[in-house]
Amino acid sequence: MVKIKMCGLSRREDILAANRVKPDYIGFVFAKGSRRYLEPERASELKSLLDPAIKAVGVFVNEEIAVAADLANRGIIDIIQLHGDEDEDYIRELRKYTSANIIKAFVIDGPGDLKRAEASSADHILLDSGKGSGKVFDWELLRDMKRPYFLAGGLDKDKAVMALTKLRPYAIDVSSGIETDGVKDPARMAEFMERISIMADKKGRFGIHGGQYIPETLMNAVIELEEAYEHYKKDPEFNRELTELFNDYAGRPSRLYYAEKMTRDLGGARIYLKREDLNHTGAHKINNVLGQALLARKMGKTRLIAETGAGQHGVATATAAALMGMECVVFMGEEDTKRQALNVYRMKLLGASVVPVTSGTATLKDAVSEAMREWTSRIDDTHYCLGSVMGPHPFPTIVRDFQAVISKEIKEQILEKEGRLPDAVIACVGGGSNAIGSFYHFIEDEDVQLIGCEAAGRGIDTFETAATIATGKLGIFHGMKSYFCQDEYGQIAPVYSISAGLDYPGVGPEHADLHDRGRAQYVPVTDDEAVEAFEYLARTEGIIPAIESAHAIAYARKLAPTMDKDQIIVVTVSGRGDKDCAAIARYRGEDIHE
Amino acid sequence: MSKIREAFAKGKAFIAFITCGDPDLETTVSVVKEAVKNGADLIELGIPFSDPTAEGPVIQGANLRALTGGVTTDKIFDMVVELRKEVSVPMVFMTYANVVFSYGMDRFVQRCAEIGMDGLILPDLPYEEKEEFAPTCRKYGIDLISLIAPTSEGRIAMIAKEAEGFLYIVSSLGVTGSRSQITTDLSSMVKLVRDNTDIPCAIGFGISTPEQAEQMRAVADGVIVGSAIVKIIAEHGRDAAPYVGEYVKSMV
Repeated sequence: MVKIKMCGLSRREDILAANRVKPDYIGFVFAKGSRRYLEPERASELKSLLDPAIKAVGVFVNEEIAVAADLANRGIIDIIQLHGDEDEDYIRELRKYTSANIIKAFVIDGPGDLKRAEASSADHILLDSGKGSGKVFDWELLRDMKRPYFLAGGLDKDKAVMALTKLRPYAIDVSSGIETDGVKDPARMAEFMERISIMADKKGRFGIHGGQYIPETLMNAVIELEEAYEHYKKDPEFNRELTELFNDYAGRPSRLYYAEKMTRDLGGARIYLKREDLNHTGAHKINNVLGQALLARKMGKTRLIAETGAGQHGVATATAAALMGMECVVFMGEEDTKRQALNVYRMKLLGASVVPVTSGTATLKDAVSEAMREWTSRIDDTHYCLGSVMGPHPFPTIVRDFQAVISKEIKEQILEKEGRLPDAVIACVGGGSNAIGSFYHFIEDEDVQLIGCEAAGRGIDTFETAATIATGKLGIFHGMKSYFCQDEYGQIAPVYSISAGLDYPGVGPEHADLHDRGRAQYVPVTDDEAVEAFEYLARTEGIIPAIESAHAIAYARKLAPTMDKDQIIVVTVSGRGDKDCAAIARYRGEDIHE
Repeated sequence: MSKIREAFAKGKAFIAFITCGDPDLETTVSVVKEAVKNGADLIELGIPFSDPTAEGPVIQGANLRALTGGVTTDKIFDMVVELRKEVSVPMVFMTYANVVFSYGMDRFVQRCAEIGMDGLILPDLPYEEKEEFAPTCRKYGIDLISLIAPTSEGRIAMIAKEAEGFLYIVSSLGVTGSRSQITTDLSSMVKLVRDNTDIPCAIGFGISTPEQAEQMRAVADGVIVGSAIVKIIAEHGRDAAPYVGEYVKSMV
């Protein structure tokens, strides 16, 4: 949760109020001339009353180094905040006198100020609209801030909540926003803490992303789903059944294959392929679908609906429905039913009905919209089996948990084969389910580089792209806050990729957060690069990957040669490429009839 | 008392929904004026969205026509300025969260207040996410309208207690668009609301005939009609205003 600093406390009752509401930091202002100025001896008395769990920050403006250091060394303050024109020399000098942590405040007027802040040698940086002037600066500037920061300047509870919907500060600094008539107001302090903690505890959030932006009609359905999931995920019987389905029906665990020829050819890192293409139905999609279908059956649902792009998720859902004796309706963009006619036939063969969606761009996003509309009209007997780590909470979490089996297995398998963790894990990202599945158990292993490959289509500098993180901006759509390709008025942009499965204008909220935190990198891969990789893997390893997965292979081809021979890359081959052969042939100018 | 309540002060209210810019903004202006002249007490102006997930085919079509015609949020704001010179009944915007969020929430709501809008309906903003938008709306005096649906059940009291302007009761499951029958037990929903607040209740989704309007008026304080009006506009295009006027007259 975001940390809170309540600044400018000066009275005994302020300290007692702080002890009750427990912010992470309080601030004493030692800037002469400030109306909140505190005599050091008065600060010493107040510090003795302060709950030791709360850190006291001393705020100085161009103070003599010895004075600031002395207050820290005497334990009157725990942290020194420099709020004037102190430069790097000052900080270096100050460190000679005290080991206390230093916060350097920067007034932000433009991108140049952010660069200076980012480069500061202080332990923490604080970004302010202007020396306690109480003005709120342009938060847009902070979107790309890579370093953790305290956010300050004119925040009250509403502005702080607003900031947290847009930004991910390390801490929020509040002063005038918790005052009434110029003095700290215990009621406003309590209210501030409460609002921020409600915000931070909001369900289904990944940083600022996620949430439940859906019509009221569906709210009880997602609440019911969340409750059922929370119950069954701890139920041994449910987990036994799911493992049995994974192993005996889907053919798990999938293989981790050492691609020796590819490794030799590229002349760098050792490359392993996680063979999700070997699963029953030919892709990772079955992992999620078996989990959700089993859950739906336990919830007493008899009908599954799903959206599909390339058709892989539709086929997987139709398969699970056939297995479990459930009715199945799949929504598929009309464009995609043409691009993936074979999969339409497979779904019908499995007993599902396929509804071609003609609204909007007649692709994956419209299929999702139509499935949501259908769910709104029929909830009692119907479960919406969403196919990726997207949509309203709890879907991004449920789908991730069912797909996390991929990284769980990779970890066990690579430890057995190599005795250590990989240096990089690479997967393609549309909504991002195979990628989050491949990343999940490595997120805490900071040394494992996580790389998601987005579909750049004809290039990220063209309009014919589906690379959401590279070209999109923050928005709210399909039940979640995340990054979306959209125009200046928030209209969702038509996207394009040769791969029908990556042809989606958004990305799952957990990926958006991994991106914000810098924990995962997202790179664009063009149609051309993907098609070349598709052909390359077929010829080199005798494996025809799905065109989606070929995006990950393409990036591995670039990355591996830059790495040492004792380094390891794992690439997830999320699906097999039989479904794509006709389209790739067309791309190469050859017309084949199936 | 918010201005929206005035729409309910003279008896049961008739609320007309119109998608802005379908087929162009001049038509929207003339349709709104005719609707008001013929008895509409409150106007719900739809700002089109590329992917309106709560709408049925009729309003989806209107959104598409409007966007294809080049309408934007800014052009709609300008249209409202014109409209306000002649139309004084309360007006609310209906759009999707991303339209407001991407415009800049503060900027959007401030502009709403400046041009004389009274409320905002976001069908993809449930109670759980409301607090992200509500403080800004309160700051500028714009009522953020809450919705309840047949599935809301235990949630009704919680939502009703915090409702502003009027409470939008969704008549039945599914998306917008006409229905031959509305079978939801609306009077018990209204009763649950009444146990918690005296805010006016208006029923929408699927109402298209005078008989249905009459039935709804018997249980609630107003009716909201959208798809039926949008259908008339789709049929008559730029000449739709008198037809909409005539229809509104038959419904009030």
